[in-house]
Formats: sequence, C-alpha cells, structure tokens
Amino acid sequence: MMVLWILLIAFISICAIGVVFSKSPITSAVSLLVGFIGVAVLYLALNAEFVAAVQVLVYAGGIMVLYIMGVMMTDNQALRLARQTHFQTLPVLGLVLVLFVWMGYRLYHSSYEPVPVSPPAAAAPAVPGTSAAPAKVPEESNTKRIAMVMYSDYLYPFEAASVLLLVAVLGGVFLAKKEV
Amino acid sequence: MGTSAFVLFGFLLFCLGLFGVLSRRNIIVVLLSIELIFAAAGINFIVFSGIWHNLTGQVFTIFLIAVAAGEAAIGLGLLIALYRIKHSANIDVANELKG
Repeated sequence: MMVLWILLIAFISICAIGVVFSKSPITSAVSLLVGFIGVAVLYLALNAEFVAAVQVLVYAGGIMVLYIMGVMMTDNQALRLARQTHFQTLPVLGLVLVLFVWMGYRLYHSSYEPVPVSPPAAAAPAVPGTSAAPAKVPEESNTKRIAMVMYSDYLYPFEAASVLLLVAVLGGVFLAKKEV
Repeated sequence: MGTSAFVLFGFLLFCLGLFGVLSRRNIIVVLLSIELIFAAAGINFIVFSGIWHNLTGQVFTIFLIAVAAGEAAIGLGLLIALYRIKHSANIDVANELKG
C-alpha cells in the first residue's frame, strides 16, 4: 500500500517538474494535464470521489484544453528559439530551495492531529491512507454529503462563484477581442 | 503515509510552482505554474478534510477549481491581447512601466 502512495506522489512530482523545467510550452501543458490526472487519483484515494471527478472533468477536460489552444494561438518560431528563463533564475532557484528545506523541515515536524471535539463518527479511519479497513461503509455517498453541505451552508458562495465565472468569461472575451 | 508527508508533498508542489512563476518567461508556463500552486492548495484541503471528518475542505476545493477556471479565462484573454500588440508571449516584453 505504501509503495502505491509513493509511486503516485513520485508520478505527480515528476509531472510537476516537467511543467516547470521543460523547454516548450506544449510539453509543459501536456505534462500538467497528466499530472492533474494523477492528482485526481490522489483525491480518489483520499476518499474525495466527487472532487476527483470534478478535477478530471473541469481541469483535464476544460482548462487544459483552453491552455493548449492558447499555446496554439501564440506560437511562433522566434518565441520557440528564444531563451525560456529570466536572468534571475539562479537566485530564484536558490531562494526556493532554501524555502523548501527550511519551511519543509518545519512543516514536516509539526503536529497535525485534529483537536478532539467529540467526533460524531469515531469509527471512520483516523488518518487518510493508513486505513485499510473496508468494514465501515458510510451510509450516504460522498457526493450526497457534499451536496448537503454545499447547498445549505455554502449556498451564497456557490451563487457568487457562478457570478464570478460569468464575469471572468465575459472579461476574457472582452480582453481578447480586437480594438480593446 | 502520515499527514506530514502529504503536507510536505503539497509544499513541494507549491515550491515548484513558485519557481516556475518566478523564472519562466512564457506567460503560458507561468499560468501553468499557478495551476500547480492551486493543486498544492487543493491537496492540502482534501487531506485536512479527511483527518477532520469535515466536508468543508472538499467544498472549498470545488470553489478552488471554479476560481482556477476563471483565472485561466482571464489569463488567456490577457495573453491573446498581449500577443496581438507585441507578437510575443514572453512577459518581459511588456515593460513600458519600467523606469
């Protein structure tokens, strides 16, 4: 089981490295597409089925297609032959490495145990990933419980998100048309 | 796999995305690196939603995906507008405000 987790995380990490370090934008985009499918598998393994489905549908099906069309529309020979990185790449690399080592050490040695606030479902697996027991089947599906939360507690943010998407799409069209 | 490993993995994705944003010239790769940072945030939301038995994290991940879709639309609109003016997709050609 542990091997599968490590394989999945290594797969996503390799895809992420491919996004950042590859030469051409189309390689970056396809690498991110494959990496997002890996992230969806990770969500699925962490008992978040609905979010995994949304991740595949919206990211892999929608957003990445948009990015790949963006690559198609803005590609030319001079751009492909030009330098791909800024002059500040080496200092930034050092800064990010220092940040990762220092802050990652602090993060790894922190405690993330939840505060016991009289858990209603104490029989559920405590830490995701360590649970190998399929004994306790939840009575309602993940999607149904998400719908309960989203359409009761988060109804106004949900409506605000729909307005946000409308405004963003209209703004994108307005920005991209001629004679701005 | 404990929670710390997932948090560290999310931070690794965040650092890769940060490096991509700060070092690459092509706007598309910069936007893709921002998507990596979104993915790092989403993984943290899902992991903590799991250990707290609280679905708010998963709902917030769905909102995160919606915000990422809006960001992609706006970012690509800006990219097309810049490409139409400058005939280049590199971010350092838009330096009119540089003193």
